[in-house]
Amino acid sequence: MRDNVKDKVLEVVTAILPLVLAVVILQFAVIRMPVHIFVQFIIGAAMVMAGMVLFLLGVEIGILPMGKALGAELPRRKSLFLVIGIAFVVGFAATVAEPDVIVLTGQVDEVSRGAIAGNVLIYAIAIGVGFFVAMAMLRILLNFPIAYLLAAGYIIIIILAFFTPAEFVPVAFDSGGVTTGPMAVPIILSLGLGFSSVLAGRSALSDGFGLIGLASIGPIIAVMILGIVLS
Amino acid sequence: MVWDGIGHTFLGVIRALLPLLVLFIIFQFLVLKLPRSYVFNLLKGTLLAIVGLALFLQGVSTGFFPAGESMGEILGAMRAQWLLIPFGLMMGFLATWGEPAVRILGSQIEEASGGSIHKNLVLYAISASVALFVALGMARIVYGIPLLWIIIPGYLLAVGMLRFSDRRVIAIAFDAGGVATGPIVVTFVLAIAVGIASAIEGRDPIIDGFGLISLVALAPILTIMVFGLILRAKLRRKEE
Repeated sequence: MRDNVKDKVLEVVTAILPLVLAVVILQFAVIRMPVHIFVQFIIGAAMVMAGMVLFLLGVEIGILPMGKALGAELPRRKSLFLVIGIAFVVGFAATVAEPDVIVLTGQVDEVSRGAIAGNVLIYAIAIGVGFFVAMAMLRILLNFPIAYLLAAGYIIIIILAFFTPAEFVPVAFDSGGVTTGPMAVPIILSLGLGFSSVLAGRSALSDGFGLIGLASIGPIIAVMILGIVLS
Repeated sequence: MVWDGIGHTFLGVIRALLPLLVLFIIFQFLVLKLPRSYVFNLLKGTLLAIVGLALFLQGVSTGFFPAGESMGEILGAMRAQWLLIPFGLMMGFLATWGEPAVRILGSQIEEASGGSIHKNLVLYAISASVALFVALGMARIVYGIPLLWIIIPGYLLAVGMLRFSDRRVIAIAFDAGGVATGPIVVTFVLAIAVGIASAIEGRDPIIDGFGLISLVALAPILTIMVFGLILRAKLRRKEE
C-alpha cells in the first residue's frame, strides 16, 4: 500500500511538474499574466496533483475491482444479447465518470456559453463509447479482423465530417481523444481481457488490444450525429 | 476563490460515478454476491476516488483554466504570432514526455519487438510527433486552417497503412492514440488554445480553439504504424 502511494505520487509529479515549471519560467520571462491568476494556478496545480493521486488510488482500490468483477461475469452469460447489453452499459458508465470527458465537456459548455450543453455532450460521448465497446465484444466473439472495423469507423467519420456543422467538428474529434483516460481505459480493458480469456482458443492479449482504439471512434461519430441532429 | 463552487463540483462527481455504482450494486445483489467486507473496501476506494476527482476538477477549473486562457490571450495578442508555433512544439513535447502512459507503451513495444525497438526511441519518437502536431495545431489557429484539412489526410494515411501492417501493430497503434491525451493536454493546452483563439481577431474559440486534442491523439497512431512498417521491412530483409 505504501509503495503504491509512492508510485502514484511519483507518476503524478513527473506528469505535472514539467508543465508547472515551464509556466513559472514563462511567467517571469515573458508572459506576465495577472498575479492573482498566477497564484491561483500554483494552488490549482497542487490541488490537481493531490486530487490525481487520491483519484488514481481510489480507482485502483475501489473502482477497478468493480469493473473486473463485472467483466468476469460477462462471458458466463449465455445470451449474446445480454453480453452486448452489459458491455454497452459498462462502456457508458465508465465514460460518464471519466475525468478528461468531464473537463472537455465542461469547457465546451463554458466557451459556447451553453449553446453546446455539457450534459448532452457527455451522454452523446458515453453512448458512442458504449456502442463501440459492444461492437468490440462482438468482434472478439466473431473473430472479425480489427483492421476492417477501424477502417470502416474512420471512413464513416470522414464522410460524416462533411455533413457536420462547423462548430461541432473540432469538438467531435476532440471527444474521441478524451475517452482514453485513467477511468475508462482500465475498466474497458479489464472487460475485454476478462471476456476473451474465457473464450477458448483466443489469445487474451491480441484480442484485448485494440479495444481502446475502437472506443475512441464511437464518440466522434456520436457527437457528429448530435451536431447534425441539432442543426 | 479556489473553493468557489466546490459543492457543485462534488455533486457533479457523485453524479458521474453513480451509473457505475448502481450497475455494480445491482450485480452484487443479483449474481456476484461478494463478501460484505470486500464490498465495503471497494466502497472506501470509491469514496477516495470521489474526493480525489473533486479536488482535481476544482484545481483544473479554478487554477488551470483561468491561467491557460490568460496565457493564451497574452500569447494571441503578441505581434509575432508565428512564435506560437515553437511554443506549441515545446508544450507538446513537455506534455507527452512526462506522461506515464507513454513510458508504459514504450516498454510494451520494446518487449513486443524482441528488443529491436528500444523504449527510449518510442518515448522520444512519440514526444516529437506530438510536439509536431501541437505546433501544427497552433499554426492552424494562427492562420485559420480548418481542422479537417489536417485530420482527414492524417486518418487516410493511418487507414492506408492498415493494409500493410500486421494485427498486433494495428491494435497497439490505435490504442496508443490515447496515451498522450492525458490531463495536461486536456486541461491546460486546451485552455491555452481557447485563449489564443479568442484573442486573435477573426478566430472562433469553438471552431479554432478546439481540435488540438484530436491532433495529439493522431500523432502516436501514425508514429507507431510507421515503426511497424520499419520493423516489417527489417524482418523481411533478414529473411532474404
